[in-house]
Amino acid sequence: MNWTRYGEEGIRIVFGNTVSADVHEKVRRYYFFLKSLHLQEIIDVIPSFTTCIIYFNDQMTDADTLIANLQEKERALPEIAIPAPATHTIPVMYGGQYGPDMEFVCSYAGLTPDEVIEIHSGTVYTVFAVGFIPGFPYMGTLDKRLFVPRLEVPRLKVNEGSVGLAQLQTGIYSFESPGGWRIIGKTDRRLFDHGQEPYSLMKIGDQARFVPL
Amino acid sequence: MIEVINPAWLSMVVDGGRYGHADIGMPPSSALDRYAYTALCRLLGYAAGMPAIEVMGHDFSLKVNTDLSCAFTGARVAAFVDSVPIAPWKVFKVKAGSTVRVKEVTEGLRYYIGFSGIIVAEKVAGSFTTNLECRFGGYFGRPFMKGDRVALKDVRDAGERSIDESLIPSMKGPHVLRIIDGEEAGSFATETLKSLFETDEDPWYKVTTKTNRTGIRLEGRPLEFREGADQSIISEGILPGVVQVPGSGQPIIVLYERTIGGYARIGHVIKADRDLLAHLKPLDKVRFQRVAREEAERLWSEKTAWYDAMLRQ
Repeated sequence: MNWTRYGEEGIRIVFGNTVSADVHEKVRRYYFFLKSLHLQEIIDVIPSFTTCIIYFNDQMTDADTLIANLQEKERALPEIAIPAPATHTIPVMYGGQYGPDMEFVCSYAGLTPDEVIEIHSGTVYTVFAVGFIPGFPYMGTLDKRLFVPRLEVPRLKVNEGSVGLAQLQTGIYSFESPGGWRIIGKTDRRLFDHGQEPYSLMKIGDQARFVPL
Repeated sequence: MIEVINPAWLSMVVDGGRYGHADIGMPPSSALDRYAYTALCRLLGYAAGMPAIEVMGHDFSLKVNTDLSCAFTGARVAAFVDSVPIAPWKVFKVKAGSTVRVKEVTEGLRYYIGFSGIIVAEKVAGSFTTNLECRFGGYFGRPFMKGDRVALKDVRDAGERSIDESLIPSMKGPHVLRIIDGEEAGSFATETLKSLFETDEDPWYKVTTKTNRTGIRLEGRPLEFREGADQSIISEGILPGVVQVPGSGQPIIVLYERTIGGYARIGHVIKADRDLLAHLKPLDKVRFQRVAREEAERLWSEKTAWYDAMLRQ
């Protein structure tokens, strides 16, 4: 683990420098540990593939004090109870009007649409991070055969529910937003409901499987 | 109740921000000029957290149907109650049936309007602020439109408070944004860093029209990556003020609507300069100045002194 300051009100904890199940597990464990402390001076924690970003209240503490405090408490880390990951089944309409980039993915990967669907829906994915927009799950790891680069020029508007690929990740647009992932399908599952806790269907560490309709 | 006669370019309900759920991608969506927002709360006698209206553009107007007090902070504006000019950063009284109108914005971009009553708005995850992209919070999750009627509750007299001229920040361009080094500052060519911060013929960037509440997109001499440096990073958590550089080399300053990013971070706009980001408008000239962390902290303690003085007014 490597601790550094992140701007003036942030602390960055780096758990590794590759996307892997092992690094993810460390991030996830530390994230639940941080949450379990219920420290008032921690305003937000953003866990992702390889890091946890802590956003703290600099009126209440300073970074050095907070880091020292956390490193002291960390001894309890092995005993922290971690919530079991939920498993989600996501129905998807693949291709056609629902997947404007299916053709590109097929030609880039040298596969037929049926093969793309079979490979994409044949894996159980892990949610490595949730964000950029509320409820968007960054999931991996995608089968190498489906590796595609992001769009060079992102679309200004990607429809809500769009299922996309980017490098070795797959994700779901929880809201209509700009975006550069290659879209291969669409789901009707609602990923975020601001009216009801927990607002997000998925959280870090959850598992998800796509089912073709 | 108030009625929106003209919503200007963009007006919406904001507050101090939505926090505690960044782990599921929920961004702060807060008032962009936090000093101005805090001053508005102070003027009207509320604790920070009250809903206020953030406006961009001139010709904003609204009609009130009850006697109340009102105040403007943020960008300097020429404002009127019916035809009587009123001073910004100062509480003024409005009689039922009167119209409050902003004729012109003379300095800065975003201004804030508050009332001596609480704007009735949707509260989501502890905050009234509007998340425009996801359409929740505030006034039905959307900007104001002509004819919208907004209820106020607990309307009272807010007294006579004003903020001294010496405590109103300047928003005049050209703008210098001070930054501390970002995580990928080392990915940029030495010459690029030098030209960005130290010299030279043209260190200026222009704010583009592709600028919104999510980010400020700048345009100028492209920032060049060092040979062999990764242009994208493994996506991770970001905080407001991060300066990201995509492959095009044109920097983007992240505001309060994103929690994760995947572009190289050349720097972080220091906390003391962050409110200024609310006032950068298309075609404005901006340059960066690199400062050490200690200097950033010293500048923030200066700004804290402003806050303290303002809150004593």
